[in-house]
Amino acid sequence: MAAYVLVAPASESEALAELAAAPEGTIAVLAGGSDLLLDLEEGLRAPRRVVSLRRLPWRRHRWLSGGLEIGSTEPLADLEADPELAARCPALAQAIAAVGSPALRRQATVGGNLGRAAPASDLIPVLLALDAEVELVSGSGTRSLGLDRFLRASRVTALAPTELIRSVRCPEVRTRSAYLWQRVRPSNDISQIGVAVAWSPGERRWRVSLGGSPPRPVLAEDAAAELAGPNPGETELARASERLAAHPALVTDRRASDEHRRRLAGTLLDRAVRATMAPGRPAP
Amino acid sequence: MSAAPPSIGVNGRPVALEEVPGDERLLDTLRWRLGLRGTKEGCRTGECGACTVLVNGEGRLSCLALAHELEGTEVTTVEALHQDPVGRAVQEAFAEEAALQCGYCTPGFVVALTGLLRGDGPPRPTPELLAALGGNLCRCTGYASIARAVERARTRLR
Repeated sequence: MAAYVLVAPASESEALAELAAAPEGTIAVLAGGSDLLLDLEEGLRAPRRVVSLRRLPWRRHRWLSGGLEIGSTEPLADLEADPELAARCPALAQAIAAVGSPALRRQATVGGNLGRAAPASDLIPVLLALDAEVELVSGSGTRSLGLDRFLRASRVTALAPTELIRSVRCPEVRTRSAYLWQRVRPSNDISQIGVAVAWSPGERRWRVSLGGSPPRPVLAEDAAAELAGPNPGETELARASERLAAHPALVTDRRASDEHRRRLAGTLLDRAVRATMAPGRPAP
Repeated sequence: MSAAPPSIGVNGRPVALEEVPGDERLLDTLRWRLGLRGTKEGCRTGECGACTVLVNGEGRLSCLALAHELEGTEVTTVEALHQDPVGRAVQEAFAEEAALQCGYCTPGFVVALTGLLRGDGPPRPTPELLAALGGNLCRCTGYASIARAVERARTRLR
């Protein structure tokens, strides 16, 4: 006998009705399934129903005037295959390439990654640095939440049990952005630390974020402020690296010590910012 | 809307999903329902690549996909790989380089490499192919002979 009933609603309203009708804790949402199936196998979750989102028209992204909207169920590999991505949001292309393996990325989705809210997510630090907004939909309408507010704690988000993540929007293309990470193995491993940087041409300021350290990826406003203008010099870079290395979010867990993370944070920030200023890169 | 019963194609044959429980993974459908034991179960958590199959020509992990989620797609397993010229060349390259010891990871490697070499794009350099095989683990040989097989297959198909 099947452990649960799998349903694949044909429309958003049907999917939301499934969620609304289910007693809390008895239903699970399946986007790509690369994480959910592990939980189900391990018995960490034991839903009676699993709602697949595969038939919903969310498996695509589109470039908006100046920005990017990513449907929550689009496989990472499809986004990665868009040649515009590396040119317009290099940090996001670099973060996607860091997730699992190519085969895994044909399954894993952006919405699943955000809903999962893993402390070591490679996508979340970049989406924070791109000031992404998460669009949530429920039977009573839609709401949009800045990613920083959407994330609550390790694997805890503001998503209500009756809500779905419909899309993620980056309001602005940030051609000068980069994401660097450190881990034991390049493929199929989890980052001990990730550092994302992005220059916002609209706001004329840097965004810097840290990932890999529990409980959740965070924006590092102090370090970003040190970078000041679009072309920080050696002094600004050194100050920003020092600030980032002192960030309270860098702690010890089973993957790395806080000391290891602090040493790497400064170095990765320095390299990431320099990468955005490399010759041949478009002017800010 | 056609009322055709939901199915997936496996090596060119339709497999009706009506009989398949909703919680069944493609890996289990292949191995235990269809008897296609060439697709291996390694970690069952998406970390070793032994269960790689082609879904519409691209490498996917059959341990992490529910069979029903792949409704309407065409699945190719290692058993049918020789019917594809690219798949055949890859298998020959692995044999010629003796790129295996126990062989458990080999179906995953040859299927994944076939998927990478089948694409329409420009030929990819060997280091890029090796990086794209980073999700496939071998615990016997080390990777030197596998890397030689990748280079041999790539050269032959260029």
